[in-house]
Amino acid sequence: MAVGTLRPRLGAGQSGIWLILAAGFGFALLFLPDFRTFENLANILRQSAVLGLIAIGQTFVILLGMIDLSVGMIAGLVVVLSCWLLDIYPALTLPVAAAMIMLGMAIGVVNGSLVRWLKLHPLILTFGMLSVLQGLIFTFTDRSVGRASDALQQLANGELFGVPLSAILLLLLVLLTQAILSRTHFGFHLLAAGGNPDSARKAGINAGGLQVTAFAIAGGFAAAGGLVLAGRLGTGYPLAGTGLELDSIVAVVLGGAALGGGRGSIVNTLAGVLALTLVSNLLNLFGVSAFVQMFAKGAIVVVAILANQPRRAAR
Amino acid sequence: MNALVPTRDGVRRFLSAYAIVAVLAAVFLLAVLISDAFLQPKYLFNVIRQIAPVGIAAVGVTFVMILGGVDLSIGAIISLSAVVSAVLMNGEAANLPMAIGVTCLVGMAAGAFNGIVLAFSRVSPFILTLATGIAILGITQIFSGGTARGIVSPGFREFFNYRIEGIVPVLSLAFLAAVLVGVLIQKRTLFGQYVFLTGSNRRAAILSGIPVRGVTIMAYTLSGLFGALGGLALLARSGVSSTMSGQGLEFQILAAIVLGGTTFEGGRGGVVGTLAGVLVLVIAFNIVNISGLPYHLQMVVMGLIIIAASAMYGQINARSQ
Repeated sequence: MAVGTLRPRLGAGQSGIWLILAAGFGFALLFLPDFRTFENLANILRQSAVLGLIAIGQTFVILLGMIDLSVGMIAGLVVVLSCWLLDIYPALTLPVAAAMIMLGMAIGVVNGSLVRWLKLHPLILTFGMLSVLQGLIFTFTDRSVGRASDALQQLANGELFGVPLSAILLLLLVLLTQAILSRTHFGFHLLAAGGNPDSARKAGINAGGLQVTAFAIAGGFAAAGGLVLAGRLGTGYPLAGTGLELDSIVAVVLGGAALGGGRGSIVNTLAGVLALTLVSNLLNLFGVSAFVQMFAKGAIVVVAILANQPRRAAR
Repeated sequence: MNALVPTRDGVRRFLSAYAIVAVLAAVFLLAVLISDAFLQPKYLFNVIRQIAPVGIAAVGVTFVMILGGVDLSIGAIISLSAVVSAVLMNGEAANLPMAIGVTCLVGMAAGAFNGIVLAFSRVSPFILTLATGIAILGITQIFSGGTARGIVSPGFREFFNYRIEGIVPVLSLAFLAAVLVGVLIQKRTLFGQYVFLTGSNRRAAILSGIPVRGVTIMAYTLSGLFGALGGLALLARSGVSSTMSGQGLEFQILAAIVLGGTTFEGGRGGVVGTLAGVLVLVIAFNIVNISGLPYHLQMVVMGLIIIAASAMYGQINARSQ
C-alpha cells in the first residue's frame, strides 16, 4: 500500500530535463553536420560513461539530503592506483578492478560512518576527505604513472555492434540502480528518510545505516568511474579526478533532484549527465576555448541551481 | 541564579572560545620540540608573512561563515585579483593606486554577485560559490590567456617584503592589521552584530527587522574585498601573477576558520579565533616541512584538521546542550 502511493511521486513532473536534452540533440542533429557523424555520437556516449557512473552514486547520497565532494578524488585515486598496479600485473585486470571498487566503498564507509557517529555535516566532512585524498594522490605521485591494461582500455574505448562498451555498462547500471531505488525496500526507505528524516525515524527506518550505505554506494561507483577513466586515459594521471565531484552534483541537480533530499531518480540523472556532455561537445565543435568552457560550466551550474531551488518558504 | 556559577551554556562558550588557544599552544610546543627555529623571532615573523595571503582572505570569509554561509570562490577571487592587479600595474609605480583600487572593486563585485544571488534565493552557498569559483577561474584564464601576465610595479614587492629592524616584514604587519580591522568590524559595528544575529537564528533576525538580505550581500562583498587584498598580498609575496596562484587556498582558508571555532552552522566564532586557526595551520605546515615529510602531505594534514576540528566543536556543542 505505502509502496504503491510512493511510486507516482518518483517521476512526476521531472521530465523537463529530457525535453531540454531532446531539443538540444534535435537542434544539433539538424544544423551541425559535424555533430551527426557516427563517431561523434559514439564519443558523446563514451564521454558520458565516467561522469555517469560517478553521478549514479552521487544520486544516492543526494537523495538522502547529503552530498559527497570526495567522489572526484576517489576516482582520481583509483586512476593512479589501478594504472600503477596494472603496469606491474597486466593480466590481473579483474582482481585489481575488484580491489579498486572495494577501496572506493571502504572510503565511502569511512565517510558515512563519520557522518553517522560524529554527526559531521556531510559537506564539510567530504570536503576534508577531498583534501586528504588529493594529498595522498600527490604524495604517491605528481606525474603520470603506469599504464592501464588492454582489458581496461577495451572497456573504456571498445565497441559492441558499434555501440561503446562503456555506454552499455552505464545503461545497464542505470537500469539496475533505478530498479533498486523504485522497487526495493531499501530504495523506499532512502527516499522516505531523505524526504522527511523525522517521520522516517519514527517509522523505524534506520537512517544511520542508510547514510553509511549511500556513501558506500557513492564510493563504489566513483571507483568504477575511475576505472573507466583510467582506461580512457591509458595512464595514471594524478589530476584526472579533479572537478568530477562538482560535475556529478550538477548532473544530479540538472536531473531534477532536490539537494534537500527525497526527490530524484537515476534515470533523470542520466539525462543530466548526457546534457552536460552534450554542452561540452557542442562548445568543442564550435571551437570555444577551454577557458570559456570553464566559465560556461560555472555559469550553467549557477543557472541550474537557481532554476531548481527549493520552493518552500524560508526556514 | 548566581552569576558566578558557571552555566552549561557558559561552559560551552568557554570551551568553544578557548579550545583553539590550547590547540595553538600544543602545536607550538610540538614545533619547538622538533626545531628550535620556532623560537627565533625572525623565523616566526617569516611564518606569519608566509601565511599572510591566506590569513587576510580568511578574515573576510569568517563573516560569511558566522552568517551561516561559506565562500568557496575565495581561491578564485584571490587568483583573479593577483592577475588583475599585476596587469594594471604594468610595471609602472604611478599605476599603483589605480591598480590596487580597481582590484579591490573587482573582488567586491565578485563577492557582491555571490551575496546578491544568495540573498534573493534559497540556493546552497556551498554549491553556488563552488560554481562561481569555476566561472571566476574561467574569467581569470580568459583575461590572462592562461599564462602569467602583467608586471609588478617597482617598489610594491620591496615595500611589503621590507623587514623592519631586519626582523618584521611589512607583509606580516599587513596581515595583523587586516585582523585588527576585522575585529573592529565584528565588535564595534552594527553590521558585526547583525551578522551574528542572522547566523544564529535567521528567522528571528527577519522577524526583528534586521535587513537580512543587506547583511548577506554586505558579508559576501566584504569576503570579496578581503579576497582581493589577499590576492595583492600573494602578489607581494611571490611576485608572479599566475592564474592558478590562488587555487586550493580556499581549503586552507576554510580549515583555518573552522579550526578557529567558527562553525558551518553559523552564529558563533570570530576573527580572533580565525587568527589562531591560521597560525595553527601554518605551524602545522612548517612541522610537515621541517620534519622532512613529503610536501603534499600538507593537504592530508589540512583535510584531517578540517574533519577533526569540526568533530571537536560538534562534540563540545552537542555535549553541553
